[in-house]
Amino acid sequence: MTLDHSDTQAAEPLMPLHCAQALPAGPPILTTLRTGTPVWLVRRHADVRQVLTDPRLNRASLFAPDAPAVTPYPNLLDDPEALLNLDGPEHQRLRRTVQRAFTPRAIARWRPWVASVVEDLLNQLTDAEHPVDLVAAFTRPLPVAVICRLMGLDNLDLKRLAYWSDHALATSAYTPQQVQEAMQDFGAFGAALVAKRRAEPGDDLISSLVQAADQDGSMTEYQLVMLTIGLVVGGHETTMTSLGNALVYLLGEGRDSWALLAGSEEQAGIAAEQLLRAVPLGDREVLPGQLRRAVADVEIGGVLIPAGSVVAADTFGANHDEGVYGPDWRADLFEPPSTPHLTFGAGPHHCLGAWLARMELELALHRLARRLPGLRLTVDPAAIEWRRGLLTRSPLTLPAAW
Amino acid sequence: MSATGPEPAELVVTVDRARCAGTGLCAASAPADLQVGPDGKAHPRHERSTALAAVVEAAELCPMEAIAVHHATTGELLAPQW
Repeated sequence: MTLDHSDTQAAEPLMPLHCAQALPAGPPILTTLRTGTPVWLVRRHADVRQVLTDPRLNRASLFAPDAPAVTPYPNLLDDPEALLNLDGPEHQRLRRTVQRAFTPRAIARWRPWVASVVEDLLNQLTDAEHPVDLVAAFTRPLPVAVICRLMGLDNLDLKRLAYWSDHALATSAYTPQQVQEAMQDFGAFGAALVAKRRAEPGDDLISSLVQAADQDGSMTEYQLVMLTIGLVVGGHETTMTSLGNALVYLLGEGRDSWALLAGSEEQAGIAAEQLLRAVPLGDREVLPGQLRRAVADVEIGGVLIPAGSVVAADTFGANHDEGVYGPDWRADLFEPPSTPHLTFGAGPHHCLGAWLARMELELALHRLARRLPGLRLTVDPAAIEWRRGLLTRSPLTLPAAW
Repeated sequence: MSATGPEPAELVVTVDRARCAGTGLCAASAPADLQVGPDGKAHPRHERSTALAAVVEAAELCPMEAIAVHHATTGELLAPQW
């Protein structure tokens, strides 16, 4: 099942996301969300880091009875019982049940297997007729295969998975009712999966999550189901998006770098890190940053943010803060970022899958460049079709030949 | 710490501040030994610890692998273990 583009086919071509320009960094400014709710937009690297790590700013209060509306497009991120929307000790308990599977050491153990998935996809890709759609043949199946293996979902219906993940982070692509229906279906799948792994545990992530949760005893069944379906979507959607948008740059404007990616996994890993820093996951029109709400008066970058305010931590702006990074990331593609970037956030909600995403990007870019040194897009970058109406934006198709 | 058992080993807990992302999971695992400071980064609270299980848990769980636990006298790395 793919996105319905009937209302967007005639729309103006969209610029590739690597062309997005950050505003010059400055102190927090007051602007408004799509709902009309005032929001403090925080853009400097140090200020964004503060917003994400300071316990006086949290997620749970965005869902308090007195909270203003922050989005006209409810989706999976707006469920108050999702891991992202819990804070404090409750959040820590839930996060601890899954954290162990996502440490750098735990992820490194998957490296040979992920490399073999990349090689299998490349074997199929090189046997196919030109042009090949890199999204269907590579950027989508790689992270899907990885999360299915981690979670033991060998026989998952991939059309159903695409249906859930297209709706989970939707903005205008679907009606709220369509999103709600898709999330109910997804939730029913998650509930059945949790029940099955409780009855017949395996060595997969869901089984260990269910065991840890049942031992802990403090989390609700609903929280467990939300965490499970959050991992399914979080485990592949954003990785597919990052990889697709990285290839738009690397096979277009940045084509001179292609041979260097083939040089070594380390080189490719550095480039992946810079692309993670520089290229945003989406257009940030609905969510100008990672939202938090102040539960007390708090000073950020010299500005007093009153209790109750909504704050958007603009990680894209922070990742381009000229006080921290060079003026053009393209020139630094093979230099490790001088300061850790904030694409994966910071603080309690730092992305659980950061190391998995890094490893997938590194292996995918290195091995694709090594296998296909002559790879090129057969579509004008200005004519790329995009997945539209979602919080993330990535190519819908990416026709290529070599 | 029983009267008959050996004294618990003295441990040194360190935080790599460049890597620390301030998730606070360590402070939840070992509140007596680690805290997140106003700079949003974890800090050891004491020069030495004896709470082996808690600080090993903190080091093993750190999403950034920013925490290390060493034996204070032998220098042996106790956590994280690869």
